[in-house]
This record gives sequence, structure tokens and C-alpha cells, in this order.
Amino acid sequence: MNMDSIRFRLTVWHACLLTAAFILLGALLFMQLKAYLQNTLLETQARRAQQIAETLLSPVNRTGEKYVVEEIKTLYAPEHSDRFIRITRKDGSVLYVSGPPNDQSFDPGGVPPALPSPQREFTRKQAMPDGRALLIAACRATTENGESYLAEVGTPATPIDTMLSHLLLLLGLSLPVVVLLAVGGGYLLVRRALTPVEEIARKAEIITQHNLSERLPVALTGDELERLSVSLNHMIARLESALQNSKRFVADASHELRTPLTILRGELENLAQDFQLPAALQERLGSLLEEVERLSKIVERLFALSRLDAGEAQAECIQFDLAELTATTAEQMALLAEDKKISITCDARQAVPVKGDRVRLKQVVVNLLDNAIKYTPDGGTVHLKIAAANGHAIIEVSDTGIGIPAEALPHVFDRFFRVDQARSRRPDGAGLGLAIVHSICHAHGGEVTADSIIGKGSRFCVSLPLVEWKNSAGKIT
Amino acid sequence: MRILVIEDERKVAEFVARGLKAERYAVDVADNGDNGWAMVNTYEYDLIILDLMLPGMDGLELLRRIRGRNTQMPILILTARDAMASKVENFEAGADDYLTKPFAFAELQMRVKALLRRGSINQCSVVRIDNLELDRLSQQVRRGGKRLDLTPKEYALLEYLATNPGRVFSRTMIVEHVWDQGFDGLTNIVDVYVRHLREKVDAPFPTKLIRTVRGVGYSLSDEVMT
Repeated sequence: MNMDSIRFRLTVWHACLLTAAFILLGALLFMQLKAYLQNTLLETQARRAQQIAETLLSPVNRTGEKYVVEEIKTLYAPEHSDRFIRITRKDGSVLYVSGPPNDQSFDPGGVPPALPSPQREFTRKQAMPDGRALLIAACRATTENGESYLAEVGTPATPIDTMLSHLLLLLGLSLPVVVLLAVGGGYLLVRRALTPVEEIARKAEIITQHNLSERLPVALTGDELERLSVSLNHMIARLESALQNSKRFVADASHELRTPLTILRGELENLAQDFQLPAALQERLGSLLEEVERLSKIVERLFALSRLDAGEAQAECIQFDLAELTATTAEQMALLAEDKKISITCDARQAVPVKGDRVRLKQVVVNLLDNAIKYTPDGGTVHLKIAAANGHAIIEVSDTGIGIPAEALPHVFDRFFRVDQARSRRPDGAGLGLAIVHSICHAHGGEVTADSIIGKGSRFCVSLPLVEWKNSAGKIT
Repeated sequence: MRILVIEDERKVAEFVARGLKAERYAVDVADNGDNGWAMVNTYEYDLIILDLMLPGMDGLELLRRIRGRNTQMPILILTARDAMASKVENFEAGADDYLTKPFAFAELQMRVKALLRRGSINQCSVVRIDNLELDRLSQQVRRGGKRLDLTPKEYALLEYLATNPGRVFSRTMIVEHVWDQGFDGLTNIVDVYVRHLREKVDAPFPTKLIRTVRGVGYSLSDEVMT
């Protein structure tokens, strides 16, 4: 999974936020519930403590302490209701303490005395040595003769604690479920939202300079994605028109240059063939003519490229054997190689049927071979291989030449591109040969790639769609 | 021989006319389609050189009209459009040959000469230049009685140069005639072949027959160079 994708990041964010919200809500619920339950319980205890203080302890100088103890026992029966009651005198001596409760949940004798407090009523949560806790409310009573007593009423906090721990368990158990839902839901939501983006990306991927007339799909949803795809389409339209303008410019320019070039060439040739002229002048005319020739060649090639751009690549579209064409071309060019003591080997074992313009495809082979021979030092080798594989016709031209630097490789098929100054010393070409190869291959639904090791050599690989041999003669017989 | 050049680019028309006049043809020039049509109707021409892009009457239209009237007169088209489609269109409209701008004047001369003598058989099977003898039937070459051993391409190149001794052939012309369209622009192959041919034809002999005209091309000639 791509950790940088929007889908991943949004899902993680979604899950994190949802989990955090759940934990926060759980914590709030827990605290609130805990406080509410404790307060309610303490309030009940406080009311009892107040009752004892006001009804039994205040008039103790008239009723006597014994009466108070009896009354508490009969009225409250603390042992049966699992309650803790203690009456303490002013000097700290205990007047009454309830016995152990029925469920033995605490030991009343072990409850530490209340800390002195200036308030008349106060509460506390008393932790017991066995780890449990008692919720105790205390109320001070003052008799008419100035005697003072402290009534304490308590109850174990265990039911609250049990309830709260259950709640905590429940929250803890549901947390993974919530996280899982958040991740899954987030993923699905984001995926749903991003599907049109994927669609746009996929389509955008296949739009190149050769099919700029195509457009991205526009989902008529009225949302941001619709706007995005519409904007992108506008951009493609602008690109298309810019590219068309530049192509038209090249076509027009190369066309317009023809007439002046014709005049230049014709006049210069007329002059050059006048053998009365001094040799030095003839030499200079020759040099001028060479430049006119070079200019004509560039114009010719630019025009050829603009025609290929305009889709006139397959003036004729016939089926033929590419292996045979390549082999004969290699043979015709053998002398060029021989001249530099370069050996050309040609590996064309089987017939490779393709469909297209024979002359143009021959030009592909000629240009690639010419290039290979030019950039291979004397005594090197150029190897040609033609094969059919996976529905493709493959021509591979590899040489033992000077190679192409890695940073220049992606540009070798660009128009007017020169690898470096050393390469540009040759007078012809103008850096259009490989651009023409590229255009012809594309026009035939194929492609051409280059790889190279500097100092070791380069390899150009042309791949064209293979066709089935249709042997019409075979059908008749 | 009288030739009509219908071309609106004055300078192109001028050098074409000048070059052809030097070859002792009588040359008239028309600078638009309507004038051209009027001249075709007034005089008898042996050949018309017609530019396709013309003001007034369009070149193609003019071509159709001339063909409608006279089916014999050879017509050579000059065009800046060399798309395959228009080539086919031209031939259908009745052009005999066509040249794409910018063309070498030598090429124009060749085409004109070929068109004018078309039909008359005056091609000898043996061509002699100085002591070089080229037999078109047996495809054998001798010089000073000694047989030269040439490869088929070398022979084709020599034979092409020999079709018009003394004329300069441009590299592009040579590539187009001796090789084929796939080699368009690959003119360095001509230099290599000419060098090889020279080694066999000229090197062993004192008189050099293959001449280089810088910037223009090659020619086969027995004229003594100064």
C-alpha cells in the first residue's frame, strides 16, 4: 500500500479522529457517572447522619446515651443493611459502632477515626486496608449542655466500583470494534470519493501528444472533481491548440522556405557550372552550395516530420516481410560500414510480417544503421537482429560505438537534439534522423527505445505490431 | 525546341529560363495561369514546365485544360507540395513528370531532355567516354580494353553517370536513381561508392574521368580539366 496516497492518509486520519473522539467520550462518561453515583450515595448517607444527629444526639442530655444506642439498633439495624454507623464523643471515645455487616464486606472496628473538620457536615471516601472503600458522611451534633457528638454513616463503595469497572470493560472491548469500523468506513468513503480521480488519472496517463484530441471523463456531479476534470480538459485543449500551432508553423515554414531555396540553389548552380570562373571563386560557390544543400535537407526533413505529424505516415499500407527488408537494407549499406572497417552482422532467421509503408519503414532501418555506423569507431561491429515476439516485430540495432550519456538518452528522439559537441561535428543530419525514426514508428502503432552504455555502445530497439501472414495464393489452391 | 515556363516566382522562372536557354532551347515565361493559358493557345510548344501554385488560374486547373486540348505535349510539374496524395493527383491530371522544390538544376535539365526525346530510340547499348566502354546489355565495363570488375551498385552508379556525359549529377539525384526512396537524405553513401568506383575506374589510368563539382555533385566526363 502506498503510504503517501491520499486514500491511506485520509483513512488514517479518519480512524485516528474517530478513535480519539470515542476515547474522549468514554472518559467523560466514566467520570460523570462515577461522580454522579458517588454523590447520590453520599447524599443518602449524609441524610441519615443528619437524622441521627438531629433526632437522637441533640437531645441526648435528656434521653441518655443508652437510649440513643438502642434507638439506632432498632431504627437502622446497620448489620442487616450492610451499613456502617459510628457515634464518637468530643474526646474521641466511641459511643457506638455498628457490628460487622451480614456480607462481611468491611470491618467496622477498623475504620479510622474521622479527621477533625471545622464543618458541621462533611463526607469522605475512606480506603480500607483490604483495598475496598467506604463512602462515609459525617454530621456533628451539639447538645443543649454543650456536649458534642459526631455521627458517621457509611456504606461500601463496592457496587459503584463494580459497575464502573464493568463500564470500563465494555468501553475497552468496543474500542477495537470502533477503530476497525473507522478504518473500514474511512477507506470505503475515501475510495468512493477518489474513484473518479483514479479514472481521470488513468485516462490522463494515456493521453500523449499523439492523441491530444481525446478528453478526460467528466463526472457531472457538480463537485470539486467535476471542476478538476473540466479544468484539466481545458488545459489539454490549450495544449492541443498550442501543439497544432507549432506543427502548422513548422509545416508552413518548411513549405515557404522551398521557393527561396530553389532560387538560391538554381542561381548558385548556374554560376558554379561556369568553368571560366577562377578556381577560388568556384570553391566558395561550392561551399555555399553545400550549405544550401544542408538547408534543403533540413527543410525536407522538417516537412517530412510535419507530414508524419499530420498522420500521412502510411501513404501506402501493404504487408511485407520486415526481415527481408532489413537484411537487404543492411546489405546495401555494407559498403558504408566496410569503409570504416566495421562489420555488420544481421540475424534475420524467420520472416517477420508487418503492415505499413515500405519506404518509410526502410528509412527507419537506414537511419538507425547510418547512426550506428557513424558513431562506431573504426574496427567496431554493428549487430542487427530482427525477430517476432509476443505479437511484436522487433528490430534491434546495437553497436560498439561511443555510446550516449544517460542524461541524454530520454532526448535522443527529440527534434534537433545533439548529444554533445563531438557528435555535432558531422555536417549533415541536423539531429532530425532519430526524430523521423520515432515519428514513423509511432505512426505505425509501434515504438522505438534506446539504451546505451557510455564507451561500450548503444542499442536501438524498434517494435512494431506483427500481422498474420495472409497467403492469398494459399487460399486459392 | 520551344519550352514554356509557367511560374509566378520571377526569380525561379529567370534561372530556369536562363539555364534552358544556355542549352539552346527557346524559352518563354508566363507569370500566371491566365497568361500561360493564353500562350499555350497562341504558340506551339514542345514542352511546358508548370508550377502548381499560381495566381489567377490554378496550376492543376491549367494542367487539366491543356490536357483537354492537347494530349501529346509533355508537361513537367514543379511543386512545393510533395505529399503522396498530390503526386497521385498530378499524374491523374495528366502530368508526365514532376519535380519537388528545391530541385537541382541538373535534375531539371535531365528531366527536360528525357521528356523531349521520349519515344525516339536513340539509346545505344554501348556508351564510350574516352577509353571507357560501358555495355548496357551485358552490363560489362572495359577501360583501355581491360575489363573492370564492378559490383552491381558500382555498375548502376557508373551507368547513371554515363547516361549524360559531362553533366553534373547531384548526390540527391544519384541516391534517388541508384538507390531508392528509403535512402532519402543519406547522401554520404554516394561519396563512399564514388570513391570505390574511382579506385577501379580512374586510379589505374592517367586520365581521370569521374569529376567532383563541389557543392553540386559528380560527373563523368572526358573533358580535360584545367
